[in-house]
Amino acid sequence: MGVKRKKSETEELVEEGKSNDKNIESSYKKKREILPSMIKNKEKRSIVHAKMKQEKKLEKRKKLKARDANEKRALELGEEPPPRAIPRTIENTRELDETVCRPDDEELFAGNDADEFSSVLKQERTPKILMTTCRYNSTRGPAFIKELQAVIPNAHYFKRGTYDLKKIVDYANKKDFTSIIVVHTNRREPDALLMIGLPNGPTAHFKLSKLVLRKEIKNHGNPTGHKPELVLNNFTTRLGHRIGRLIQSLFPQDPEFRGRRVATFHNQRDFIFFRHHRYIFESKESKGSDSKVKKVKDAKGDKISQERVIARLQECGPRFTLKLISLQHGTFDTKGGEFEWVHKPEMDTSRRRFFL
Amino acid sequence: MPRTTTVECPGCPPLRAITFDSLGLIKVVEARGERGGVPSVVERWGDPDASKCVLAASIDDSKHDPLLVVARKNGLIEIINSLNGDLHVSIPNVGDAGAQLEDDGIVGLHLFKRQRQESLSRSCTLLTCSTKGNASMRSIEVSNPAESTSVDSIKSWNVCSSGTVLCSKVDGNEKYALFGGKGVEVNVWDLEMCTKIWTAKAPPKNSLGIFTPTWFTSATFLSTDDHRKFVAGTNSHQVRLYDTSAQRRPVMSFDFRETPIKAIAEEPEGYNIYIGNGSGDLASVDIRTGKLLGCFLGKCSGSIRSIARHPTLPVIASCGLDSYLRFWDIKTRQLLSAVFMKQHLLEVVFDSNFDDKVAHAAADVVLVQEPQNMDEIQGDETETEPVKRKKTPKVKDECKKRASKENEESKKMKSKKKSKRVKAESDD
Repeated sequence: MGVKRKKSETEELVEEGKSNDKNIESSYKKKREILPSMIKNKEKRSIVHAKMKQEKKLEKRKKLKARDANEKRALELGEEPPPRAIPRTIENTRELDETVCRPDDEELFAGNDADEFSSVLKQERTPKILMTTCRYNSTRGPAFIKELQAVIPNAHYFKRGTYDLKKIVDYANKKDFTSIIVVHTNRREPDALLMIGLPNGPTAHFKLSKLVLRKEIKNHGNPTGHKPELVLNNFTTRLGHRIGRLIQSLFPQDPEFRGRRVATFHNQRDFIFFRHHRYIFESKESKGSDSKVKKVKDAKGDKISQERVIARLQECGPRFTLKLISLQHGTFDTKGGEFEWVHKPEMDTSRRRFFL
Repeated sequence: MPRTTTVECPGCPPLRAITFDSLGLIKVVEARGERGGVPSVVERWGDPDASKCVLAASIDDSKHDPLLVVARKNGLIEIINSLNGDLHVSIPNVGDAGAQLEDDGIVGLHLFKRQRQESLSRSCTLLTCSTKGNASMRSIEVSNPAESTSVDSIKSWNVCSSGTVLCSKVDGNEKYALFGGKGVEVNVWDLEMCTKIWTAKAPPKNSLGIFTPTWFTSATFLSTDDHRKFVAGTNSHQVRLYDTSAQRRPVMSFDFRETPIKAIAEEPEGYNIYIGNGSGDLASVDIRTGKLLGCFLGKCSGSIRSIARHPTLPVIASCGLDSYLRFWDIKTRQLLSAVFMKQHLLEVVFDSNFDDKVAHAAADVVLVQEPQNMDEIQGDETETEPVKRKKTPKVKDECKKRASKENEESKKMKSKKKSKRVKAESDD
């Protein structure tokens, strides 16, 4: 420590020797541009930080108010309100990707017809899923499996025992299963998901995180036994398209809309978010300030019914996030497998580059 | 450090490559321009049809009437003009037994280079090998597809009694062929006599007494005029060098990464080999010592199915399941450019005669005085090519150009390296 201090002291001396006038100037500048992260005293730093944050907040509020006022005035004057600025997000500014599927690509559709899932998706085979776990499995694992079984119809849980996964694949092929799902747990927490298409479909390996079971969700609902509807969002590239089709082939292709049950796989920045909801359409009497506006309208035109239909959601769980690690050609084979896609660190050239 | 670097691709020297994909499409990729041409898909032959998935392909890129042979999943072998994609002959792959299509696809296909007399008589010779080990050599009269094609002679034999053949290769002088596969030790055949002249022996058990089953996935002869040395890659990520004159066990073997070796290509004048594996790693290795010279880095994420070495330029092409065709510089191991081809690619070959065409095109440009109208040139070039095959007087010029260009490139590389170094220092 002593040595260090000495050094800094000498540096200061040198600086002082160099230019006295400049020093004053620079110190003045420093005071103006000081960042909280440069302050070493924690108490002081937190105070400064809080102050800055508050200032920023106020500024933002002011800005919003000004914008709203502008818009209101424009409306009153009967002008077009100024267009709202679109915020720049990472997804907005995504790097140009030539593998994004285009709707006019005939090769894509020919490829779709020929791929491994087409027989399931054309309803020639009904999806039948084998679910199993890793060898050691307890608490959260089985609970998750149970809930996943509630989500995916026609899913059968088999105890893993000490069977090799390759043997399980053989068995499932013999018994006419269309997919296998393996939930891998680590320290009693599910952390990976393996989806295998059968008989020769690809194998997708996902990292599983942020698992919330039904019980832990507040005001959760209990799903019925109907076949769910499926929502696949944002699977844009060729790889994403393939993953989407893999997921699609897990579910029956004829949802029962009576059940009003939706399973959603939403892709955002290569993370696939899963949510499971029940929904209901409710017609509600409109009231409050809205009704006033409507009344004015009513006076003008015919009597529009004051009911409006809203959709209400209730989450049924589980809730989890997937991230693709690898997509393997053919069924599970760690030693001799060929990969269609593996994530490699050299591919992360930019945070605006996405693969799905 | 923010990850915001964009990898710029310097572009390719003028070249022409042909790729084959899982929907049976044949796509021609061309790079034009003197320096740094960006390759793009120029032509597409065939309609997308999954049953016509290409299993193997081979090219005979002679100056006169180059031909392309494609084996398809539905059991057809097609002979195609590699300049314009005209189908010459389409023959069913039927050997001794009648129905052997579905479970016995072709894995090895080789089109023999034709002698002058042969090319006058317009016949060509093929070697095919199926997964069950039925190898056959046939010579075919090439004529219009409308007329009946005559298969002159079929010499067929069985390479192995059990197991599946996964790779086959013919040496540079086209007198010997090697076959290997799952449960099939590599064996070398004399093609004139149709006799097996050599079989490999499995390596001994390791120190734990564990025997790795035979499973060859790729193989290649080391040099064009020596049929005695060859390299084979196995499913257990091992690369083995065999010398038939020395011993039956591998002379040398080393491991490469952790997924099966799926493609091997040799450097014709040298000691390097290029190996590609199931997780998309491509590397060059000095085969004299077995030392890894370096990897080809470039976001290659899918299994590499085929590597092709350009006959004249220092360029290799690789393609595979990530549906990108990539061109690499051999010396710097830098990615020159990548072309997205939409399907899983299974095979890539180079057309070495493309330089001449560029010279032609350049001459055309000079004559017509329309240097910007690339499309038109391209168009009339493709139309008139089969007819117009004169000897080019511009060969010398071109050589010079190429030399100068290479110089330029090397200079570029140097400067780049320097700048990189500077960057690294500044980072530190």
